Amino acid sequence: MRVPARVFADRELIGQIAADRSLEQLQNVATLPGITGAALAMPDIHQGYGFPVGGVAATEPPDGVVSPGGVGYDINCGVRLLALPLTLAELGRRAEALVHEISRRVPVGTGHGGALKLKGPAFDRVLVEGPRILLAEHGIGTAEDIEHTESEGRLAGADPAVVSERARIRGSDQLGTLGSGNHFLEVQRVAKVLDAQAAEAFGLREDQVTVLIHSGSRGFGHQVCSDYVRTMDRVQARYHISLPDRELACAPISSPEGQRYLAAMACAANFAWGNRAALAHRVRQSVAQILGPRVAEGTRQVYDVAHNVAKLETHHGRQLYVHRKGATRAFPAGSEEIPAVYRAVGQPVFIPGSMGTSSFVLVGRPGAMERSFGTTCHGAGRRMSRTGARRQITGAELRHQLEAQGIVVRCPSNRGLAEEAPFAYKDVERVVAVVERAGLAARVAQLAPVGVVKG
Amino acid sequence: MEIVARTEEGVFADALHALAELLADDAGGELVWREVAVRGEERAALLVGWLDELVFLAETENLVPEEVGRLELSDHGVVATVRCRRGSPRHLVKGATYHRLAFERSGQGFRATVVLDV
Repeated sequence: MRVPARVFADRELIGQIAADRSLEQLQNVATLPGITGAALAMPDIHQGYGFPVGGVAATEPPDGVVSPGGVGYDINCGVRLLALPLTLAELGRRAEALVHEISRRVPVGTGHGGALKLKGPAFDRVLVEGPRILLAEHGIGTAEDIEHTESEGRLAGADPAVVSERARIRGSDQLGTLGSGNHFLEVQRVAKVLDAQAAEAFGLREDQVTVLIHSGSRGFGHQVCSDYVRTMDRVQARYHISLPDRELACAPISSPEGQRYLAAMACAANFAWGNRAALAHRVRQSVAQILGPRVAEGTRQVYDVAHNVAKLETHHGRQLYVHRKGATRAFPAGSEEIPAVYRAVGQPVFIPGSMGTSSFVLVGRPGAMERSFGTTCHGAGRRMSRTGARRQITGAELRHQLEAQGIVVRCPSNRGLAEEAPFAYKDVERVVAVVERAGLAARVAQLAPVGVVKG
Repeated sequence: MEIVARTEEGVFADALHALAELLADDAGGELVWREVAVRGEERAALLVGWLDELVFLAETENLVPEEVGRLELSDHGVVATVRCRRGSPRHLVKGATYHRLAFERSGQGFRATVVLDV
C-alpha cells in the first residue's frame, strides 16, 4: 500500500462492510501509483469490480494514474432531482396516473432503445456538449437545468475520435432510457425539512412533490469503460505497473492511454447528463399530460450530481484527479463550482434510499474538503447480493408489500424488482448519519416514496 | 462464471453455453450463423473478448448464441462460427470483466473464471 485505506463508518456499518471483499479491494486501491492522502471508503461501500463501490482515490498528475475501473462501467451514473410546484395533497388521486404515465413514456431495461435516436455528428455533439446541445437543437430541458447540473452538464476535453464505433452503436438509441439494475425513477414527497435555510435555497418545502431520476451512460459508458480497461491492461508492463486485480488496470494520467481515456470518459459523462436531461424531459411531458402544462413549466431541476467519474480538482493546494466510484462530490458553501443560487449554503447532494424507504437531500460541508477530497456517500449501499435478495423474496411479494405501503410500483421484471428489495441494502439513515457526524455533508430534507418506476 | 473443460477450445465453447443459459428465451426464431473473431494472445483476455462479442450480438441484434461450429484458437486470437437464434434475449448481462479473471491449467484440462457485469 502506498497510502492508508480509510473508512467512514460506525460500528454496525463496519460489520456489514467487512462481510464482503470491499475492504480488501480498498487496500488494493491504496496500491495505485500516484495515489495521494488515503484510499477512502464512504459508509455505503460495497464490493465492486476491482475498485469498491463507494470508493474514492485522488491521484496526482503527471505520473499518477487514471483507472477506468476506478470510475466504473456506468460512467457518470448519477441522480437528478426535480421539484414540482405542488404538494402531495394537491396531487391527490392523480399520483398513480402520474407514475403510470412516466412508466409509459420512459423506456426501461438493458439495451432497450428510446425515442431520441441520434447518429453521426448529432450524436457526437451530445458527447462534446452534453445537455446544452439537446436544449439548443431539440428543445429538451431549460437553461436553468443546465446551470443546476454538476459541471453544468459538460466535462471539458471530450473527444469523440477516441470513442469506439461499438460504443456509438450501443449508445445511439439510448438517450432518454432508464436502464436496469438499481436505476429507477421515483415520485416522492418531502416528508421532513431538516435544514430550513438550505431547503429554502434549494426550493424545497414540506409535502412538496419531487421526482428523483437515477440513471447513467447506459451501454455507451459501459463500452467506453470496457474498451479502456482492455487498453490499459495491455500496457501495464510498459509503465512498470503491477496490480493486485486486473480490473484496476490504469495508466499514467500524462500517457497517451491515460489522456485518451479521460477524453472518452468525458464523452460518456456528457452523454449521461444528456440521458438524464432527456429523462427529465419525459417526466415533464408526463406531468403536462396528467397535471397540465402550467405544473410542467413550474417543475424545476434542483440539481444533478454524478456518482461515477474522475475529475481534475484542487485539494489541499494540489491539482488532483479525484476518482469517485459510487460517491458524490459534496462541495461546501462558497465554492465557485456550484451554482450561484446555492453558493451561500453549499452543493446539493441526493442520497437515494432503497426502494420503499426514504431518500435524503444533503448539502456539502467544509469537512468534505478537509477529509474526503470534497466527497460524500451516494446511496444506501448494497449489503446482500442480487441472488441473495432473490432467494429471500419474490418480485410479486415485494410488489404487494410496497403497494400495501401505498407506493405505486411499475416494473416489468419481477426478478429485477426482487433484486432491489430494501433488506438487500444498508440502512440509509445510518449511512447519512455517518457522513453528517464526519462533517462531510449535512441533512437538508427527507423524501418519502410515492411511486417508483424501475428497469 | 466458472468453467472447467478438457481443452482450451472447450472453455470457449462452454462459456458460450453458459452465457446462452443466461440470455435464452423460448422464442425459437430464425436461425442465424455469425463469425466471431477476437484478436489477442493471452487466453483470459481472449475469453473476456469472446463473451463480450456474444453479449454485443444479443444486445444489438437480438441473437441468442446456441452452438459453436468451427472454432480456431491460435497465438493470434480466436475465430469461430456461432449458431444463433434470433429472439428476445434477456438483457441480463452487460459485459465480461477482468475482475478476478483466471484461465489456467487444472489437472488434465483447463479452468477459467470470469465475472460478468449484470
